[in-house]
Amino acid sequence: MAVEAAQQTSVQERLAQLWTARLEISPIGLDDDFFELGGDSLTAAELQGDIDKEFGVEVSATTLFLSPTITELTQVIEEAVAAAPSGTTGAHPGGRQ
Amino acid sequence: MSTGTARDLTDPGLYSQGEPHEVWRHLREHDPVHWQPNSGRGGGYWVVTRYADVERVLHDYSAFTSERGTLLNLLGRGDPAAGKQLAATDPPHHDRARIPLKQALAVKPLASFSDRIQAGIRDLLAPGADGQPFDFAVAMSQLPLVALGPILGLPTEDYPRLIRLAMMSTAEEDPEFQLPGGVEPTLKRGHREIFAYFSDLVRARLRNPGDDLISVLAETEVDGERISTGSVISNCYSMLLGSAGTLPHVPIAAIVELAGSPTYGDWAAHPELLDSGIEEALRWATPASNFMRYALHPVELSGVPVAEGDAVVAYLASANRDAKVFPDPDVFDIRRRPNRHLAFGVGHHYCVGSHLARLALRLLFTELFATFSSIEVVGEIERMHSTFLAGFKRVPVAGVPRRATVEG
Ligand code: HEM
Repeated sequence: MAVEAAQQTSVQERLAQLWTARLEISPIGLDDDFFELGGDSLTAAELQGDIDKEFGVEVSATTLFLSPTITELTQVIEEAVAAAPSGTTGAHPGGRQ
Repeated sequence: MSTGTARDLTDPGLYSQGEPHEVWRHLREHDPVHWQPNSGRGGGYWVVTRYADVERVLHDYSAFTSERGTLLNLLGRGDPAAGKQLAATDPPHHDRARIPLKQALAVKPLASFSDRIQAGIRDLLAPGADGQPFDFAVAMSQLPLVALGPILGLPTEDYPRLIRLAMMSTAEEDPEFQLPGGVEPTLKRGHREIFAYFSDLVRARLRNPGDDLISVLAETEVDGERISTGSVISNCYSMLLGSAGTLPHVPIAAIVELAGSPTYGDWAAHPELLDSGIEEALRWATPASNFMRYALHPVELSGVPVAEGDAVVAYLASANRDAKVFPDPDVFDIRRRPNRHLAFGVGHHYCVGSHLARLALRLLFTELFATFSSIEVVGEIERMHSTFLAGFKRVPVAGVPRRATVEG
Protein backbone atom coordinates (compact mmCIF):
# COMPACT_ATOMS: atom_id res chain seq x y z
CA MET A 1 0.00 0.00 0.00
CA ALA A 2 2.86 2.37 0.84
CA VAL A 3 4.44 1.76 -2.55
CA GLU A 4 1.12 2.33 -4.24
CA ALA A 5 0.57 5.54 -2.32
CA ALA A 6 3.98 6.82 -3.32
CA GLN A 7 3.21 6.24 -6.98
CA GLN A 8 -0.15 7.93 -6.87
CA THR A 9 -0.64 10.13 -9.86
CA SER A 10 -2.28 13.45 -9.66
CA VAL A 11 -5.41 12.14 -11.39
CA GLN A 12 -5.76 9.66 -8.59
CA GLU A 13 -5.31 12.32 -5.93
CA ARG A 14 -7.77 14.67 -7.51
CA LEU A 15 -10.31 11.86 -7.91
CA ALA A 16 -9.88 10.91 -4.28
CA GLN A 17 -10.52 14.54 -3.31
CA LEU A 18 -13.75 14.55 -5.33
CA TRP A 19 -14.84 11.33 -3.63
CA THR A 20 -14.01 12.69 -0.21
CA ALA A 21 -16.04 15.83 -0.90
CA ARG A 22 -19.10 13.81 -1.95
CA LEU A 23 -18.83 11.00 0.58
CA GLU A 24 -17.47 13.07 3.43
CA ILE A 25 -14.94 10.40 4.35
CA SER A 26 -11.19 9.92 4.00
CA PRO A 27 -8.80 8.33 3.39
CA ILE A 28 -10.07 6.49 0.35
CA GLY A 29 -8.31 3.36 -0.92
CA LEU A 30 -7.54 3.03 -4.61
CA ASP A 31 -9.67 -0.09 -4.90
CA ASP A 32 -12.53 0.88 -2.61
CA ASP A 33 -15.94 0.61 -4.21
CA PHE A 34 -17.76 3.96 -4.30
CA PHE A 35 -21.05 2.34 -3.37
CA GLU A 36 -19.58 0.31 -0.54
CA LEU A 37 -18.21 3.53 0.92
CA GLY A 38 -21.78 4.74 1.23
CA GLY A 39 -22.24 6.39 -2.15
CA ASP A 40 -25.68 6.07 -3.67
CA SER A 41 -26.77 6.39 -7.27
CA LEU A 42 -27.64 10.04 -6.96
CA THR A 43 -24.27 10.88 -5.40
CA ALA A 44 -22.63 8.96 -8.22
CA ALA A 45 -24.54 11.01 -10.78
CA GLU A 46 -23.31 14.16 -9.05
CA LEU A 47 -19.77 12.79 -9.02
CA GLN A 48 -20.04 12.36 -12.76
CA GLY A 49 -20.67 16.10 -13.02
CA ASP A 50 -17.69 16.78 -10.73
CA ILE A 51 -15.43 14.66 -12.95
CA ASP A 52 -16.62 16.49 -16.09
CA LYS A 53 -15.70 19.81 -14.52
CA GLU A 54 -12.46 18.77 -12.84
CA PHE A 55 -10.88 16.97 -15.79
CA GLY A 56 -12.65 18.56 -18.72
CA VAL A 57 -13.44 15.13 -20.17
CA GLU A 58 -16.60 13.10 -20.05
CA VAL A 59 -16.65 9.75 -18.35
CA SER A 60 -19.68 7.68 -19.24
CA ALA A 61 -21.93 7.04 -16.31
CA THR A 62 -21.85 3.34 -17.12
CA THR A 63 -18.13 3.28 -16.34
CA LEU A 64 -18.65 5.20 -13.16
CA PHE A 65 -21.51 2.99 -11.98
CA LEU A 66 -20.12 -0.38 -13.00
CA SER A 67 -16.39 0.18 -12.32
CA PRO A 68 -16.62 2.44 -9.29
CA THR A 69 -13.01 2.42 -8.01
CA ILE A 70 -10.34 5.12 -8.17
CA THR A 71 -8.01 2.75 -10.03
CA GLU A 72 -10.50 1.97 -12.77
CA LEU A 73 -11.71 5.54 -13.13
CA THR A 74 -8.18 6.89 -13.29
CA GLN A 75 -7.46 4.68 -16.23
CA VAL A 76 -10.58 5.81 -18.05
CA ILE A 77 -9.92 9.47 -17.34
CA GLU A 78 -6.30 9.21 -18.48
CA GLU A 79 -7.40 7.55 -21.71
CA ALA A 80 -10.02 10.22 -22.28
CA VAL A 81 -7.52 12.98 -21.59
CA ALA A 82 -4.99 11.45 -23.97
CA ALA A 83 -7.65 11.26 -26.68
CA ALA A 84 -8.80 14.85 -26.17
CA PRO A 85 -7.21 17.64 -28.26
CA SER A 86 -4.32 19.12 -26.26
CA GLY A 87 -4.91 22.32 -24.37
CA THR A 88 -8.60 21.60 -23.87
CA THR A 89 -8.25 19.88 -20.53
CA GLY A 90 -6.68 20.58 -17.22
CA ALA A 91 -5.88 16.97 -16.56
CA HIS A 92 -2.11 16.90 -17.11
CA PRO A 93 -0.20 16.36 -13.92
CA GLY A 94 0.34 19.73 -12.38
CA GLY A 95 -1.54 21.40 -15.19
CA ARG A 96 -4.39 22.63 -13.08
CA GLN A 97 -5.33 26.26 -13.57
CA MET B 1 -54.26 -25.94 0.58
CA SER B 2 -55.02 -23.64 3.50
CA THR B 3 -55.69 -20.02 2.70
CA GLY B 4 -55.62 -18.96 6.33
CA THR B 5 -53.39 -16.34 7.86
CA ALA B 6 -50.62 -18.91 7.92
CA ARG B 7 -49.93 -18.28 4.23
CA ASP B 8 -46.64 -16.48 3.90
CA LEU B 9 -47.15 -13.12 2.17
CA THR B 10 -43.40 -12.83 1.65
CA ASP B 11 -43.45 -15.89 -0.62
CA PRO B 12 -43.60 -14.79 -4.27
CA GLY B 13 -45.11 -18.20 -5.03
CA LEU B 14 -48.34 -17.05 -3.38
CA TYR B 15 -48.74 -14.53 -6.18
CA SER B 16 -47.67 -16.73 -9.09
CA GLN B 17 -49.41 -19.96 -8.03
CA GLY B 18 -51.71 -19.23 -5.08
CA GLU B 19 -54.80 -17.15 -4.40
CA PRO B 20 -53.66 -13.88 -2.80
CA HIS B 21 -57.16 -12.41 -2.99
CA GLU B 22 -58.47 -15.23 -0.81
CA VAL B 23 -55.69 -14.70 1.70
CA TRP B 24 -56.40 -10.96 1.79
CA ARG B 25 -60.15 -11.49 2.16
CA HIS B 26 -59.51 -13.78 5.10
CA LEU B 27 -57.20 -11.20 6.66
CA ARG B 28 -59.66 -8.33 6.12
CA GLU B 29 -62.32 -10.30 7.92
CA HIS B 30 -60.36 -11.97 10.71
CA ASP B 31 -56.96 -10.37 11.15
CA PRO B 32 -56.97 -6.94 9.46
CA VAL B 33 -53.61 -5.87 10.86
CA HIS B 34 -51.53 -9.00 10.74
CA TRP B 35 -47.90 -9.49 11.82
CA GLN B 36 -45.90 -11.09 9.03
CA PRO B 37 -42.42 -12.39 9.90
CA ASN B 38 -40.01 -11.58 7.09
CA SER B 39 -38.91 -15.07 6.16
CA GLY B 40 -35.18 -15.50 5.87
CA ARG B 41 -34.30 -11.87 6.45
CA GLY B 42 -35.35 -11.33 10.05
CA GLY B 43 -37.79 -8.83 11.48
CA GLY B 44 -41.22 -8.53 9.99
CA TYR B 45 -43.96 -6.10 9.14
CA TRP B 46 -47.63 -5.33 9.66
CA VAL B 47 -49.90 -6.41 6.83
CA VAL B 48 -52.70 -3.83 6.57
CA THR B 49 -55.61 -5.05 4.45
CA ARG B 50 -58.76 -2.95 5.09
CA TYR B 51 -59.59 0.05 2.93
CA ALA B 52 -59.96 2.45 5.86
CA ASP B 53 -56.59 1.44 7.37
CA VAL B 54 -54.76 1.43 4.05
CA GLU B 55 -56.07 4.90 3.30
CA ARG B 56 -54.98 6.12 6.71
CA VAL B 57 -51.46 4.68 6.46
CA LEU B 58 -50.92 6.34 3.08
CA HIS B 59 -52.54 9.62 4.12
CA ASP B 60 -51.09 10.23 7.56
CA TYR B 61 -47.45 11.06 6.93
CA SER B 62 -47.06 12.46 10.45
CA ALA B 63 -47.58 8.92 11.80
CA PHE B 64 -46.22 6.86 8.87
CA THR B 65 -43.03 8.00 7.19
CA SER B 66 -41.89 7.20 3.65
CA GLU B 67 -38.31 8.20 4.39
CA ARG B 68 -37.02 4.75 5.34
CA GLY B 69 -38.13 3.26 2.04
CA THR B 70 -41.55 2.39 0.64
CA LEU B 71 -40.81 -0.79 -1.29
CA LEU B 72 -41.17 -4.04 0.55
CA ASN B 73 -38.28 -5.58 -1.37
CA LEU B 74 -35.98 -3.10 0.36
CA LEU B 75 -37.09 -4.08 3.88
CA GLY B 76 -33.99 -5.07 5.83
CA ARG B 77 -31.74 -4.40 2.84
CA GLY B 78 -31.23 -0.70 2.71
CA ASP B 79 -32.15 1.21 -0.39
CA PRO B 80 -29.62 0.60 -3.18
CA ALA B 81 -30.61 3.82 -4.90
CA ALA B 82 -31.03 5.50 -1.53
CA GLY B 83 -33.26 7.98 0.09
CA LYS B 84 -33.49 10.95 -2.21
CA GLN B 85 -36.17 9.63 -4.55
CA LEU B 86 -39.39 11.64 -4.45
CA ALA B 87 -41.36 8.62 -3.28
CA ALA B 88 -39.09 8.27 -0.25
CA THR B 89 -39.43 11.79 1.17
CA ASP B 90 -42.03 13.26 3.54
CA PRO B 91 -43.72 16.67 3.44
CA PRO B 92 -42.82 19.48 3.56
CA HIS B 93 -39.66 18.68 1.57
CA HIS B 94 -41.58 16.17 -0.55
CA ASP B 95 -44.12 18.71 -1.77
CA ARG B 96 -41.42 21.03 -3.12
CA ALA B 97 -39.48 18.15 -4.66
CA ARG B 98 -42.67 17.03 -6.42
CA ILE B 99 -43.28 20.34 -8.22
CA PRO B 100 -41.16 19.68 -11.34
CA LEU B 101 -42.69 16.26 -12.09
CA LYS B 102 -46.15 17.52 -11.28
CA GLN B 103 -45.77 20.31 -13.82
CA ALA B 104 -44.14 18.14 -16.44
CA LEU B 105 -46.73 15.36 -16.14
CA ALA B 106 -49.81 17.60 -16.01
CA VAL B 107 -52.63 17.08 -18.52
CA LYS B 108 -51.66 19.98 -20.76
CA PRO B 109 -47.97 19.28 -21.52
CA LEU B 110 -48.86 15.62 -22.15
CA ALA B 111 -51.56 16.38 -24.72
CA SER B 112 -49.08 17.20 -27.48
CA PHE B 113 -47.58 13.69 -27.26
CA SER B 114 -50.90 11.91 -27.69
CA ASP B 115 -50.53 11.19 -31.44
CA ARG B 116 -47.09 9.68 -31.00
CA ILE B 117 -48.25 7.51 -28.12
CA GLN B 118 -51.21 6.35 -30.18
CA ALA B 119 -48.96 5.37 -33.07
CA GLY B 120 -46.80 3.35 -30.69
CA ILE B 121 -49.86 1.58 -29.32
CA ARG B 122 -50.99 0.63 -32.81
CA ASP B 123 -47.58 -0.99 -33.37
CA LEU B 124 -47.95 -2.98 -30.14
CA LEU B 125 -51.25 -4.46 -31.34
CA ALA B 126 -50.05 -5.02 -34.90
CA PRO B 127 -48.82 -8.62 -34.32
CA GLY B 128 -52.42 -9.69 -33.64
CA ALA B 129 -54.33 -7.19 -35.75
CA ASP B 130 -55.23 -9.70 -38.46
CA GLY B 131 -56.51 -12.26 -36.00
CA GLN B 132 -53.25 -14.20 -35.48
CA PRO B 133 -52.58 -15.41 -31.93
CA PHE B 134 -50.19 -13.14 -30.03
CA ASP B 135 -49.07 -12.74 -26.46
CA PHE B 136 -50.97 -9.78 -25.05
CA ALA B 137 -48.80 -9.62 -21.90
CA VAL B 138 -45.59 -9.53 -23.93
CA ALA B 139 -47.04 -6.82 -26.19
CA MET B 140 -48.22 -4.72 -23.24
CA SER B 141 -44.88 -4.99 -21.45
CA GLN B 142 -43.65 -2.27 -23.83
CA LEU B 143 -46.60 0.05 -23.14
CA PRO B 144 -44.76 2.08 -20.47
CA LEU B 145 -42.03 3.01 -22.92
CA VAL B 146 -44.50 3.63 -25.70
CA ALA B 147 -45.99 6.19 -23.30
CA LEU B 148 -42.77 7.53 -21.73
CA GLY B 149 -40.46 7.27 -24.73
CA PRO B 150 -41.93 10.15 -26.74
CA ILE B 151 -42.22 12.45 -23.76
CA LEU B 152 -38.64 11.82 -22.60
CA GLY B 153 -37.27 11.64 -26.14
CA LEU B 154 -35.86 8.12 -25.73
CA PRO B 155 -34.58 6.18 -28.76
CA THR B 156 -36.96 3.28 -29.52
CA GLU B 157 -34.05 0.82 -29.70
CA ASP B 158 -33.44 1.42 -25.98
CA TYR B 159 -36.99 0.44 -24.93
CA PRO B 160 -36.48 -3.31 -24.35
CA ARG B 161 -33.32 -2.76 -22.31
CA LEU B 162 -34.96 -0.14 -20.12
CA ILE B 163 -37.96 -2.39 -19.48
CA ARG B 164 -35.63 -5.19 -18.52
CA LEU B 165 -33.65 -3.00 -16.10
CA ALA B 166 -36.84 -1.71 -14.54
CA MET B 167 -38.11 -5.26 -14.04
CA MET B 168 -34.79 -6.23 -12.43
CA SER B 169 -35.35 -3.38 -9.99
CA THR B 170 -38.99 -4.13 -9.15
CA ALA B 171 -39.63 -7.84 -9.85
CA GLU B 172 -36.19 -9.11 -8.84
CA GLU B 173 -37.67 -12.35 -7.44
CA ASP B 174 -38.94 -13.45 -10.83
CA PRO B 175 -36.54 -15.96 -12.44
CA GLU B 176 -37.11 -14.26 -15.77
CA PHE B 177 -35.44 -11.08 -14.54
CA GLN B 178 -33.14 -12.34 -11.80
CA LEU B 179 -29.36 -12.45 -12.42
CA PRO B 180 -27.45 -15.64 -11.59
CA GLY B 181 -26.12 -14.08 -8.34
CA GLY B 182 -29.61 -13.75 -6.84
CA VAL B 183 -31.88 -11.01 -5.62
CA GLU B 184 -29.34 -8.50 -4.25
CA PRO B 185 -27.04 -8.26 -7.27
CA THR B 186 -30.13 -8.07 -9.47
CA LEU B 187 -31.52 -5.09 -7.58
CA LYS B 188 -28.15 -3.39 -7.40
CA ARG B 189 -27.35 -3.82 -11.04
CA GLY B 190 -30.83 -2.80 -12.19
CA HIS B 191 -30.89 0.41 -10.16
CA ARG B 192 -27.37 1.40 -11.08
CA GLU B 193 -27.72 0.82 -14.78
CA ILE B 194 -30.90 2.89 -14.88
CA PHE B 195 -29.17 5.72 -13.08
CA ALA B 196 -26.19 5.44 -15.38
CA TYR B 197 -28.42 5.48 -18.45
CA PHE B 198 -30.26 8.62 -17.37
CA SER B 199 -27.08 10.33 -16.15
CA ASP B 200 -25.65 10.10 -19.65
CA LEU B 201 -28.93 11.04 -21.29
CA VAL B 202 -29.54 14.09 -19.11
CA ARG B 203 -25.99 15.32 -19.67
CA ALA B 204 -26.49 15.05 -23.43
CA ARG B 205 -29.90 16.74 -23.23
CA LEU B 206 -28.58 19.63 -21.16
CA ARG B 207 -26.17 20.35 -23.95
CA ASN B 208 -28.75 19.87 -26.71
CA PRO B 209 -32.19 20.71 -25.36
CA GLY B 210 -35.27 19.50 -27.27
CA ASP B 211 -39.04 19.63 -26.87
CA ASP B 212 -39.05 16.63 -24.53
CA LEU B 213 -39.81 16.70 -20.82
CA ILE B 214 -36.20 16.08 -19.75
CA SER B 215 -35.33 19.44 -21.25
CA VAL B 216 -38.39 20.96 -19.58
CA LEU B 217 -37.45 19.42 -16.22
CA ALA B 218 -33.90 20.70 -16.50
CA GLU B 219 -35.27 24.24 -16.82
CA THR B 220 -37.81 24.00 -14.04
CA GLU B 221 -37.31 26.49 -11.24
CA VAL B 222 -38.44 25.93 -7.69
CA ASP B 223 -38.32 29.04 -5.50
CA GLY B 224 -36.43 30.88 -8.22
CA GLU B 225 -33.71 28.25 -8.58
CA ARG B 226 -33.13 25.66 -11.28
CA ILE B 227 -33.43 22.13 -9.95
CA SER B 228 -30.16 20.19 -9.77
CA THR B 229 -28.99 17.79 -12.46
CA GLY B 230 -29.15 15.06 -9.86
CA SER B 231 -32.83 15.65 -9.31
CA VAL B 232 -33.55 15.65 -13.06
CA ILE B 233 -31.87 12.23 -13.26
CA SER B 234 -33.65 11.00 -10.21
CA ASN B 235 -37.00 12.13 -11.62
CA CYS B 236 -36.34 10.21 -14.85
CA TYR B 237 -35.51 7.15 -12.78
CA SER B 238 -38.75 7.54 -10.82
CA MET B 239 -40.78 7.85 -14.02
CA LEU B 240 -39.30 4.68 -15.46
CA LEU B 241 -39.70 2.65 -12.27
CA GLY B 242 -43.12 4.12 -11.59
CA SER B 243 -44.50 3.06 -14.94
CA ALA B 244 -42.61 -0.04 -16.11
CA GLY B 245 -44.07 -2.63 -13.77
CA THR B 246 -47.50 -1.08 -13.32
CA LEU B 247 -49.03 0.25 -16.51
CA PRO B 248 -49.01 -3.00 -18.57
CA HIS B 249 -50.93 -4.87 -15.93
CA VAL B 250 -54.06 -2.76 -16.16
CA PRO B 251 -55.01 -3.83 -19.71
CA ILE B 252 -53.58 -7.32 -19.18
CA ALA B 253 -55.67 -7.99 -16.06
CA ALA B 254 -58.72 -6.52 -17.77
CA ILE B 255 -58.31 -8.79 -20.80
CA VAL B 256 -57.70 -11.90 -18.69
CA GLU B 257 -61.00 -11.13 -16.96
CA LEU B 258 -63.01 -9.97 -19.96
CA ALA B 259 -61.74 -12.23 -22.75
CA GLY B 260 -64.57 -14.39 -23.99
CA SER B 261 -67.12 -12.57 -21.81
CA PRO B 262 -69.96 -10.35 -23.06
CA THR B 263 -68.57 -7.46 -20.99
CA TYR B 264 -65.85 -6.87 -23.60
CA GLY B 265 -68.43 -6.21 -26.32
CA ASP B 266 -70.61 -4.20 -23.96
CA TRP B 267 -67.69 -1.93 -23.07
CA ALA B 268 -66.55 -1.63 -26.69
CA ALA B 269 -70.08 -0.65 -27.74
CA HIS B 270 -70.33 2.16 -25.17
CA PRO B 271 -67.62 4.77 -25.64
CA GLU B 272 -69.18 6.81 -22.82
CA LEU B 273 -68.07 4.01 -20.47
CA LEU B 274 -64.44 4.27 -21.53
CA ASP B 275 -63.41 6.15 -18.37
CA SER B 276 -65.50 4.28 -15.80
CA GLY B 277 -64.29 1.00 -17.33
CA ILE B 278 -60.67 2.15 -17.07
CA GLU B 279 -61.13 3.10 -13.41
CA GLU B 280 -62.59 -0.36 -12.84
CA ALA B 281 -59.63 -1.95 -14.64
CA LEU B 282 -57.31 0.06 -12.36
CA ARG B 283 -59.17 -1.14 -9.25
CA TRP B 284 -59.24 -4.69 -10.57
CA ALA B 285 -55.54 -4.86 -11.43
CA THR B 286 -53.97 -2.71 -8.67
CA PRO B 287 -50.56 -3.53 -10.16
CA ALA B 288 -48.52 -1.96 -7.36
CA SER B 289 -50.10 -4.22 -4.80
CA ASN B 290 -48.54 -2.70 -1.68
CA PHE B 291 -46.47 0.19 -0.34
CA MET B 292 -44.52 0.36 2.90
CA ARG B 293 -44.26 3.00 5.61
CA TYR B 294 -42.63 3.10 9.09
CA ALA B 295 -44.54 4.13 12.21
CA LEU B 296 -43.06 7.29 13.72
CA HIS B 297 -44.87 6.85 17.02
CA PRO B 298 -47.13 4.24 18.59
CA VAL B 299 -50.50 4.03 16.76
CA GLU B 300 -53.55 1.80 16.64
CA LEU B 301 -54.95 0.38 13.41
CA SER B 302 -58.27 -1.48 13.66
CA GLY B 303 -57.57 -1.78 17.38
CA VAL B 304 -54.14 -3.36 16.91
CA PRO B 305 -51.26 -1.52 18.58
CA VAL B 306 -48.38 -0.72 16.20
CA ALA B 307 -45.12 0.23 17.90
CA GLU B 308 -42.83 3.10 16.99
CA GLY B 309 -40.37 2.00 14.33
CA ASP B 310 -42.46 -0.89 13.00
CA ALA B 311 -42.71 -1.44 9.26
CA VAL B 312 -46.30 -1.16 8.05
CA VAL B 313 -47.25 -2.42 4.61
CA ALA B 314 -50.50 -1.13 3.10
CA TYR B 315 -52.01 -3.67 0.71
CA LEU B 316 -53.73 -1.50 -1.91
CA ALA B 317 -54.77 -4.60 -3.81
CA SER B 318 -56.68 -5.82 -0.76
CA ALA B 319 -58.23 -2.44 0.02
CA ASN B 320 -59.56 -2.31 -3.55
CA ARG B 321 -61.58 -5.48 -2.92
CA ASP B 322 -62.97 -4.39 0.44
CA ALA B 323 -66.71 -5.10 0.37
CA LYS B 324 -67.34 -2.27 2.84
CA VAL B 325 -66.42 0.19 0.09
CA PHE B 326 -67.02 -1.72 -3.15
CA PRO B 327 -70.30 -3.67 -3.39
CA ASP B 328 -69.67 -7.03 -5.12
CA PRO B 329 -65.93 -6.37 -5.05
CA ASP B 330 -65.07 -9.47 -7.09
CA VAL B 331 -67.21 -8.41 -10.04
CA PHE B 332 -65.60 -6.39 -12.85
CA ASP B 333 -68.27 -3.73 -13.33
CA ILE B 334 -67.52 -1.25 -16.12
CA ARG B 335 -70.37 0.94 -14.81
CA ARG B 336 -69.12 1.03 -11.20
CA ARG B 337 -69.71 4.45 -9.64
CA PRO B 338 -68.49 5.73 -7.31
CA ASN B 339 -65.16 4.00 -7.65
CA ARG B 340 -62.74 5.50 -5.16
CA HIS B 341 -60.06 2.90 -5.74
CA LEU B 342 -56.57 3.26 -4.29
CA ALA B 343 -54.62 1.91 -7.29
CA PHE B 344 -52.76 5.25 -7.55
CA GLY B 345 -52.47 5.60 -3.76
CA VAL B 346 -53.88 8.56 -1.87
CA GLY B 347 -52.58 11.71 -0.18
CA HIS B 348 -49.32 13.51 -0.81
CA HIS B 349 -47.71 10.63 -2.70
CA TYR B 350 -50.72 10.08 -4.99
CA CYS B 351 -49.24 8.84 -8.26
CA VAL B 352 -47.73 11.83 -10.02
CA GLY B 353 -47.85 9.85 -13.29
CA SER B 354 -51.61 9.24 -13.10
CA HIS B 355 -52.44 11.61 -15.97
CA LEU B 356 -49.94 9.89 -18.23
CA ALA B 357 -51.21 6.48 -17.13
CA ARG B 358 -54.83 7.45 -17.83
CA LEU B 359 -53.93 8.99 -21.18
CA ALA B 360 -52.08 5.82 -22.23
CA LEU B 361 -54.94 3.61 -21.01
CA ARG B 362 -57.56 5.65 -22.89
CA LEU B 363 -55.56 5.43 -26.10
CA LEU B 364 -54.91 1.73 -25.54
CA PHE B 365 -58.49 0.65 -24.88
CA THR B 366 -59.82 2.85 -27.70
CA GLU B 367 -57.37 1.22 -30.11
CA LEU B 368 -58.10 -2.25 -28.75
CA PHE B 369 -61.88 -1.87 -29.20
CA ALA B 370 -61.37 -0.40 -32.67
CA THR B 371 -59.14 -3.34 -33.64
CA PHE B 372 -60.96 -6.36 -32.17
CA SER B 373 -64.69 -7.03 -31.89
CA SER B 374 -63.89 -9.78 -29.41
CA ILE B 375 -60.84 -11.43 -27.92
CA GLU B 376 -60.12 -14.91 -26.53
CA VAL B 377 -57.39 -16.41 -24.39
CA VAL B 378 -55.90 -19.23 -26.49
CA GLY B 379 -53.16 -20.74 -24.28
CA GLU B 380 -51.64 -21.07 -20.82
CA ILE B 381 -51.48 -17.85 -18.88
CA GLU B 382 -48.61 -17.23 -16.48
CA ARG B 383 -48.60 -14.84 -13.54
CA MET B 384 -45.74 -12.70 -12.19
CA HIS B 385 -43.61 -14.21 -9.44
CA SER B 386 -43.35 -11.09 -7.28
CA THR B 387 -44.45 -9.92 -3.84
CA PHE B 388 -44.87 -6.34 -5.10
CA LEU B 389 -46.15 -6.33 -8.65
CA ALA B 390 -49.39 -8.14 -9.33
CA GLY B 391 -49.81 -9.19 -12.92
CA PHE B 392 -49.23 -11.58 -15.76
CA LYS B 393 -46.21 -12.45 -17.88
CA ARG B 394 -47.86 -14.60 -20.55
CA VAL B 395 -51.37 -14.22 -21.89
CA PRO B 396 -51.69 -15.78 -25.35
CA VAL B 397 -54.76 -14.33 -27.05
CA ALA B 398 -56.39 -14.09 -30.45
CA GLY B 399 -58.76 -11.30 -31.41
CA VAL B 400 -61.46 -11.17 -34.06
CA PRO B 401 -60.48 -8.22 -36.26
CA ARG B 402 -63.28 -5.71 -36.62
CA ARG B 403 -62.38 -5.08 -40.26
CA ALA B 404 -63.06 -8.74 -41.06
CA THR B 405 -66.35 -8.73 -39.14
CA VAL B 406 -67.49 -5.64 -41.00
CA GLU B 407 -66.49 -6.96 -44.42
CA GLY B 408 -67.72 -10.49 -43.94
C1 HEM C 1 -51.32 2.22 -13.93
C2 HEM C 1 -50.14 2.69 -13.72
C3 HEM C 1 -49.63 3.16 -12.39
C4 HEM C 1 -49.96 2.75 -11.12
C5 HEM C 1 -50.95 1.67 -10.71
C6 HEM C 1 -49.18 3.56 -10.20
C7 HEM C 1 -49.26 3.48 -8.81
C8 HEM C 1 -48.67 4.37 -7.93
C9 HEM C 1 -48.89 4.42 -6.51
C10 HEM C 1 -49.83 3.51 -5.74
C11 HEM C 1 -48.14 5.42 -5.98
C12 HEM C 1 -48.06 5.88 -4.51
C13 HEM C 1 -46.87 5.28 -3.79
C14 HEM C 1 -46.84 5.61 -2.33
O1 HEM C 1 -47.83 6.09 -1.74
O2 HEM C 1 -45.78 5.37 -1.70
C15 HEM C 1 -47.40 6.00 -7.09
C16 HEM C 1 -46.49 7.02 -6.97
C17 HEM C 1 -45.69 7.44 -8.02
N1 HEM C 1 -45.82 7.10 -9.35
FE1 HEM C 1 -47.21 5.84 -10.14
N2 HEM C 1 -48.40 4.40 -10.92
C18 HEM C 1 -48.65 4.20 -12.26
C19 HEM C 1 -48.08 4.87 -13.31
C20 HEM C 1 -47.07 5.79 -13.20
C21 HEM C 1 -46.46 6.48 -14.28
C22 HEM C 1 -46.86 6.34 -15.74
C23 HEM C 1 -45.47 7.26 -13.75
C24 HEM C 1 -44.50 8.22 -14.39
C25 HEM C 1 -44.41 8.57 -15.59
C26 HEM C 1 -45.49 7.07 -12.32
C27 HEM C 1 -44.64 7.68 -11.42
C28 HEM C 1 -44.84 7.73 -10.05
C29 HEM C 1 -44.02 8.51 -9.14
C30 HEM C 1 -42.82 9.37 -9.51
C31 HEM C 1 -44.55 8.34 -7.86
C32 HEM C 1 -44.07 8.97 -6.55
C33 HEM C 1 -44.93 10.15 -6.26
C34 HEM C 1 -44.66 10.79 -4.92
O3 HEM C 1 -44.06 10.16 -4.04
O4 HEM C 1 -45.07 11.96 -4.72
N3 HEM C 1 -46.48 6.18 -12.02
N4 HEM C 1 -47.75 5.35 -8.26
